[in-house]
Amino acid sequence: MPFVPKVSAYNAKINTLVIGTGEKALKLGGNNTLPFYEFDAVSENKPAIGVEISDLALEEYVQPGLKSFYEGCDTIPAMAKKAQEIPGASFIALTLASADPNGANTSVEDCVALVKEVADAIELPLAVAGCKNIEKDAELFNKISEALTGKNILVLSAREENYKTIGASAGLAYGQKVGAESAVDINLAKQLNTIMLQLGVSADAIAIQAGSAAAGYGYEYVASTLDRIKNAALQAADTQLQMPIVTPVSTETWAVKESTLPQEEQPEWGDPEQRGIEMEITTASACLACGSDAVILRHPESIKTIAGMIDALTEVK
Amino acid sequence: MAVKGLDIFKLSPKKNCKECGSPTCMAFCMKVAQGAVPIENCPYMSDEAIALLSDATAPPMKTIEVGGHKLGGETVLFRHEKTFVSPTRYAVALASDDADADEVLEAIKAVDYERIGEREYVEYVFIEDKGGDVAGLVQKVIDAGRGAIVETTNTATAEAVLAVSTDVIITGADASNWEAMNAVVGGKAVLGLKGSPADLYDIADALEKADNKKLVFDVTADTVKKTFENAVLVRRSAIRDEAKVLGYPSIVNLTKLAPGDIHMQTALASLFTVKYGSIVVMEKMTYAEALALYGLRQNIFTDPQKPMKVEPGIYPLNGADENSPCMLTVDFALTYFLVSGEIERSKEPVNLLITDASGMSVLTAWAAGKFSSSTVQKFFDEFQIADKIKNRTLILPGKVAVMKGEIQAKLPDWNVVVGTREAVEIVKYLKDKEYVAAAEAAAKSKAPADSTGPAIITEGPIDYDKLVIPEIPHIDMGVTYKQRDPDSKKFVTIGERIHCISPVIREAMNNFDAEPILKRAAEQIKAGATYLDVNIGPAESNGPELMTWAVRLLQENFNNVPLALDTANKRAIEAGIHVYNRTNGKPIVNSADAGSRIENIDLAAANDAIVIALCSADGIAKDNDERMEHCHNMLERGMGLGMESTDLWFDPLFLVVKGMQDKQMDVLNAIKMFADEGLKSTGGLSNNSNGAPKEVRPIMDSALVAMCMMQGLTSAIINPNDRRTMETIRTCDIFKNYELYSDSYLDF
Repeated sequence: MPFVPKVSAYNAKINTLVIGTGEKALKLGGNNTLPFYEFDAVSENKPAIGVEISDLALEEYVQPGLKSFYEGCDTIPAMAKKAQEIPGASFIALTLASADPNGANTSVEDCVALVKEVADAIELPLAVAGCKNIEKDAELFNKISEALTGKNILVLSAREENYKTIGASAGLAYGQKVGAESAVDINLAKQLNTIMLQLGVSADAIAIQAGSAAAGYGYEYVASTLDRIKNAALQAADTQLQMPIVTPVSTETWAVKESTLPQEEQPEWGDPEQRGIEMEITTASACLACGSDAVILRHPESIKTIAGMIDALTEVK
Repeated sequence: MAVKGLDIFKLSPKKNCKECGSPTCMAFCMKVAQGAVPIENCPYMSDEAIALLSDATAPPMKTIEVGGHKLGGETVLFRHEKTFVSPTRYAVALASDDADADEVLEAIKAVDYERIGEREYVEYVFIEDKGGDVAGLVQKVIDAGRGAIVETTNTATAEAVLAVSTDVIITGADASNWEAMNAVVGGKAVLGLKGSPADLYDIADALEKADNKKLVFDVTADTVKKTFENAVLVRRSAIRDEAKVLGYPSIVNLTKLAPGDIHMQTALASLFTVKYGSIVVMEKMTYAEALALYGLRQNIFTDPQKPMKVEPGIYPLNGADENSPCMLTVDFALTYFLVSGEIERSKEPVNLLITDASGMSVLTAWAAGKFSSSTVQKFFDEFQIADKIKNRTLILPGKVAVMKGEIQAKLPDWNVVVGTREAVEIVKYLKDKEYVAAAEAAAKSKAPADSTGPAIITEGPIDYDKLVIPEIPHIDMGVTYKQRDPDSKKFVTIGERIHCISPVIREAMNNFDAEPILKRAAEQIKAGATYLDVNIGPAESNGPELMTWAVRLLQENFNNVPLALDTANKRAIEAGIHVYNRTNGKPIVNSADAGSRIENIDLAAANDAIVIALCSADGIAKDNDERMEHCHNMLERGMGLGMESTDLWFDPLFLVVKGMQDKQMDVLNAIKMFADEGLKSTGGLSNNSNGAPKEVRPIMDSALVAMCMMQGLTSAIINPNDRRTMETIRTCDIFKNYELYSDSYLDF
């Protein structure tokens, strides 16, 4: 008798979260195996890649390769439109970094106007990330959700301190999808999902944002948190953790010194853009291997590569 | 990997007859597991059990050592379950007919650097046999300090390679040629096999029967998908499904899966680092790939049980130089990130000094004696801070303001200033330059260098006549401690509230102010505490005086209440025991461990005291095998010094549910193992509910104490003012028949 390895799909599965509308609507999650364990069961949906466009991109996306990709785009909506051409891009993640009260403090009205312009310029589904300021994000997401009613966007994210406002507006009043963000801790992730559900937000309107870190920067906590969430959701059938996981990768990886240090300061390290791409690829691949149902990336080269890896590993029903 | 002692114990006769020379069956089995004694020393172990053992105790995955690195030996599928042990190694591929072989080898050498105490470089070279001088290439690889992997199906080539070195992997054997390849390689070098999991199973099974257990599997298939499937199924079958024949390290060759596409190779290298590749072969490894992949690897293969630490040293922030002031803190990573982040936000140049505190937070480290004036002085000497930095302002964390005098005395050239209590206050503190005036004041108030007061004595016998003990006030607190039978079987509660981490107590001990201490003692005694813990902190300058005073103060005011003496200062404990009255129970030394604090067992033995023995060395024990190993090491040390085994109270180390939920049953099972051997146990039980909402904590604590008492826990260090937990303990004592029932048994 030849040896036959045991296969084990789970009875429980990850919720399917839909963002966007119409033909380009995107389904996240829906699987009943660990990531890429297609020998246990074929995937329902592939992991997805969101393309990060910061509202500061015109000033901050300075790497030559990145800059040349967006050559000729002189507005954020134009960049977002262009980003859709990257092979493997399945949604646009607009980040309102300039809204930070400790930074440029762009007004809520201006942010809403920008988000509307971007939404009108693109066909792919839209995710909108805030500026990480608790009060400002609550206000932003409230107005943005209202302005984009019917677009079925994903707002990133509600946290324990502002989930009531964001959950009530984005999740309940305006029917958008809401990320629930906690700081790399499975107990906190479950707690936030529990109270969001108690608030009345539907389980299939929630994505888990379980925190993020660049490879080498405490990534082990991200890995173990993702591993444990997926195990709890599938093996223990914990309904409060069965939401798909969305992980922003680029904001972490393009900020570490491996990606930013100029070549003059460390000649043997070589071209910083290549370092940044490999850092983004490495971190994204590790996140997907541990359980992210979607990653948010910046560089077209990284996106193309990660999309290629996802395609090579999955064979959707 | 070691054989599991507890598995052996399950099959042992468990009669504790001592005929094998060990005090208990458990102790014997632990020694067998370590290879210290043969299992045949036990006359009662059945043949059946011995046969079963060799099978049951074989590790699920072999460890293969080659080219200076260990591969495999994993026991879990996810790092949070315990830890991964053998990091993924990276190899660069080289075709044997490559005319530029020397250049490839030179390029490999270019990436070689250190990251957090670890050398990062390409560990192996994977030579693909395309004809030519393969053996010569192997020699060059070895000369370059790298391990060699040779892929060949040619037995003559294999023989030539083996003539150069046997510390290599020769891979390429499959279902068609494994017998021929094994005839050459088997018993000499590591043999690499190829095929599907089913093929690998059959070949490895046949080879194991022929006594070749030096194998690796090349799981690379035609596609990425199939390769991933092979890697996962081989590992999962071995570890989860007990197909131990598949328990060998795996090689993944990315040059075959994504030739010419370095970005894709990086993506896949990351995937196989997370999921079960032991050696990952790439076309090249430049800094771009290495910085990311080695960083990832270092994270994935860290032990989740070890506290996160940063390296001690000087961290110049915001362009600080030798003229910038110094701020001091501990090496606990979260503390470091918080403090350095706030300093960076202030934009003020500061030299952040990180001292070794075993990864503990500021107050915990201070209370444990890991962050004291002596450790700071040692740190200053070791890192030659005074030579490297000219500025003489040293800012301490506000929480350990009490150390200011001692540090000032040990570092007389510096101007010691007390900084903020919380990190969030740092930005304002630095911007307002409050420390400048404080440093000037410190400089002025310093005594002249030649009159820094009497030196602190840390050696030799204590001269009790010379101890100057402040007056012991006698104040009626309206509470008396009831006489107690020291041999009572009732659960022993050790009240934890006289602890120098509490600002009130710290202040009171600093000033020999009796009232706040007596007040807390009275509250705990009234609530039914059996013992009181007295934590005086490290008390480096006046430990013996302070402990003598505290012991007399508490015992004289409360009818000789029994005490646990809790400090890192051994002389203080000795002095405390010197004046201790034993009417209501022996003194407890809190605490010893199996690592750097093991000598506290000697202290307890010399003074006929009880000792709390933490079953850990450095960091939390990773499993109950390790806990029991520590337990028996300490037990043997204590008994060797003439202690009763019941005077060592073993602490399994209670773990916090928020974070270590999956380890809670380990702790409960350890308590049962102590009890099965007739040993007593205790511990800081309320640690389980740390960070939980305050209305939930008593529920968690009382449920846990009931489960622990069922397992045989005999004592706990708790807050006796938590009524719910105390009532639960009393009720459990009723069920255990240690306390006679009456309707009002809870009126205590």
